[in-house]
Amino acid sequence: MSDGYRIVVLIKQVPDTSSKAGVNPDGTIDRARAKRMLNTFDKYALQKALEVKAAHGGEVLAISMGPPPALEILVEACEYGADKGYLLTDRRLAASDTLSTAYALHKAVQYLGRVDLVFTGLQTTDGDTAQTGPQIAERLDLPQITYCERLEIVDGKARVRRVVEGGYQWLETPLPALITVANSATKLQHKRFGGVYAVKELQRHKERMDQTVFIVDLDKVGADSNKAGLVGSPTVVGKTWKMGEIGGSCVMFLGDSPKHNVEHLMARLKEDNRHIEELIQ
Amino acid sequence: MSNLADVLVIADQLQGDLQPIALELLGAARGLAEKLGVKVQALVMGHELGDIPQRLIWNGADEVFVVDQPELKEYTTLTYRRATISVLEGMSRPPHIVLCGATTIGRDLAPRIAAYFETGLTADCTELDIGEYEHKGKADPSKVGTFHNCLYAIRPSFGESLKARIIGPWKNPQMATARTGAMVPCGEDTTRTGKITVIPVKFEDSDFRVKVIETVRDVSKAVDLTGARVIVSGGFGLASAEGFRLVEDLASVFKKSAVGASRKAVDAGWIPYAHQVGQTGKTVRPALYIALGISGAIQHRVGITHSDVILAVNKDESAPIFQFANYGIVGDLFEIAPLLKENFKKAFPASKEV
Ligand SMILES: Cc1cc2nc3c(=O)[nH]c(=O)nc-3n(C[C@H](O)[C@H](O)[C@H](O)COP(=O)(O)OP(=O)(O)OC[C@H]3O[C@@H](n4cnc5c(N)ncnc54)[C@H](O)[C@@H]3O)c2cc1C
Repeated sequence: MSDGYRIVVLIKQVPDTSSKAGVNPDGTIDRARAKRMLNTFDKYALQKALEVKAAHGGEVLAISMGPPPALEILVEACEYGADKGYLLTDRRLAASDTLSTAYALHKAVQYLGRVDLVFTGLQTTDGDTAQTGPQIAERLDLPQITYCERLEIVDGKARVRRVVEGGYQWLETPLPALITVANSATKLQHKRFGGVYAVKELQRHKERMDQTVFIVDLDKVGADSNKAGLVGSPTVVGKTWKMGEIGGSCVMFLGDSPKHNVEHLMARLKEDNRHIEELIQ
Repeated sequence: MSNLADVLVIADQLQGDLQPIALELLGAARGLAEKLGVKVQALVMGHELGDIPQRLIWNGADEVFVVDQPELKEYTTLTYRRATISVLEGMSRPPHIVLCGATTIGRDLAPRIAAYFETGLTADCTELDIGEYEHKGKADPSKVGTFHNCLYAIRPSFGESLKARIIGPWKNPQMATARTGAMVPCGEDTTRTGKITVIPVKFEDSDFRVKVIETVRDVSKAVDLTGARVIVSGGFGLASAEGFRLVEDLASVFKKSAVGASRKAVDAGWIPYAHQVGQTGKTVRPALYIALGISGAIQHRVGITHSDVILAVNKDESAPIFQFANYGIVGDLFEIAPLLKENFKKAFPASKEV
C-alpha cells in the first residue's frame, strides 16, 4: 500500500471492574470469572487511528497481547473499522510486567514491517501504569507524545496537543512516532458493523478470519523468550492487602429542610472546632 | 558507611519553578536513605535554574546533579531522556533507587529510562519503604533468594480496593513514580549543606525530533489542586457543564481554593482533565474538601483521603461517599450549594488580615 499511513493501534482486553461479576469479596478480580472488555482507554486510541485513516487513507492494524479469548477485542476492533487484528499469544507471556510486555509488543510491531504511527490508550483500567506505551517507543527508538488530546497530520508530520499541568502544549513530530491518546481526544463512535460477532461465529467464517484476524506467538514475531513473560520481568507483586477503612463516622444532616440542614452543619463545624474561619475570603 | 548506592530523585521544575512533587519526593527519599544508610541525590534538568539546586539541598538532598543547558528550556521526552541517561551512566556508582513524580513529565520520562536500563518501574506509588523479600519463585528459578534492602513500592491496585507491594531487587536501579500529594516533604532548612555538580550533556540530532510549537499555561487560571486549602468538587450530579458555575461560586467564598471534579464529569466534557481528582487525576490534601454530586467511587476516594475535612452533598442517602466523609448533607445540590455559600460567610466572618 503506497497511499496513506500504516497505523498500528495497541489494545488490551481487561476485566470489567464496573461489573460485580468476577470480583472476589476481598476486592481482587477473579480473571476467569470476570466479564471481559476492551480497555476503555484503548477505544479512544482506536478511534483516533480510524480518524487518521479516514482523513489520509492507509490501514489500521490492531495488535493485542493476551490469552486466546483476547481475540474477541480484535474482532471488535475490526467491527469498529480496523483492517486487521493480530493477537500475540504465548504461554511464556504469563505474568509479564510492563517492561517485558513492552518488549514483546515492540517485537509484534516490528513483525508488521513499515509502520508510520503507533497509537496506544493512555493506560489500562487493570494495570493502569501508563508505562507500556513509552517503553515500546524506547524499544522502537521512536519519538513519543503522551496525553494526546488533539491530533493533526500536516505535511507528513504529526501535530499533537498534549495535556500538561496547568495547560497544554502543541508539539510536532516527524513520523514514525508513538502517541498515547487521552480520552479527551475524541468522542467515541459506534461500531461500523452492527452486532457483535462472537469469536466462534467468526471462526465459522474461516475465510474472513484468515484475512482479518491473525494469531502469532513469540517465535513468529522473533522475540527472545528470556526477555518476555515472568522471566523477562524485573518486578513482581510481593504482597497485596486490603485498603484500610477511613473516616467511617460521617455526621449526617438529612432533615427535610435544606436551610436547617446547612445551618446545623455550620453550628456543628464550629462546635467541632474545624477552624473554617481561616479558610474564608 | 553503607556499601549500597544512593537514592536519587529526579526533581520536576517548570520554567525555573521547583514543583511541589520534587519536595515530596525528597521527603520520601530521605526516609529511604536513612533506612539504607546512604545519601539522597537529586537530578534537576532545565535552563536558567537559578537557586533550584541550592533549594534541593535545603529540602533534603545531600548531592545535586544539575544539567542546565538551553536545549532543556522546555521539557521534551528525548532531550530529557538523553540528559538523564548520560548523568546516570556517568556516575561512578549508579543509584540503588530512582524516584520520579507521577506527573505528565515523570510518567512520560520514567518509563523510557526504565526501558533503556531494562529495569523495573512501579507506577503511581502512594507509599515507599525499604524491606526484605524472599522469592521462592517456583515459576522462575533464576530469581530465587532472599533479598535485603529492597524498595517496597506500594501502590493501590485492583480498582483501588487493595494495596500492592511491588518488588524488583534483581535489577538496579529500582525505580518508582509517586503520586503528587502522597509523600510528605521534610521542610526547608537553609542551614543544610551539600554538594552541587554541574554536568554537561552532549545531545544528538535525533534528540530533537519532537519540537515544541507552543505552550499554553494559564497561570491565572491554572488549577492548583495540590496547593489549594479548600477544594470544591463537582461530579456527575451537576448534570451539565453549567453546573460547574455553582461549584465555582461556592469556591469563591474561600481563600486559596480550587475547583475539582470527578472523572465522570471530566469524561462528559464539562470541565478539563486538569481538574480531575482521584486515581487517574490528582491526589489532594486540602483542609476542606467539598464534594457536590459525587458518589464516592473508590477511584475518587483514593485521591481525597488525605483531606482534613470532607463535606459531601448528595441526594442519595446511601451514596458511598457518606461512608468516609466527615459531614454529609442529604439533598439536592442545586438548592444546597447556594445555601452553603451564604451560610459559610454568615457563620464564619473572615479573619481579617493585618
Ligand atoms: C481505572 C479507573 C480510574 C478511574 N479514575 C478516576 C479518578 O481519577 N477520579 C474519579 O473521580 N473517578 C475515577 N474513575 C471513575 C469512578 O469509578 C467513577 O465512575 C466516578 O468517580 C463517578 O463519578 P461521579 O461520582 O461524579 O458520578 P456518579 O457515580 O454518576 O455519581 C453522581 C452522584 O451524584 C448524585 N446526584 C445526582 N444528582 C444530584 C443532585 N441534584 N444533588 C445531589 N446529588 C446528586 C447521585 O446520587 C450520585 O451519587 C476511575 C475509574 C476507573 C475504572
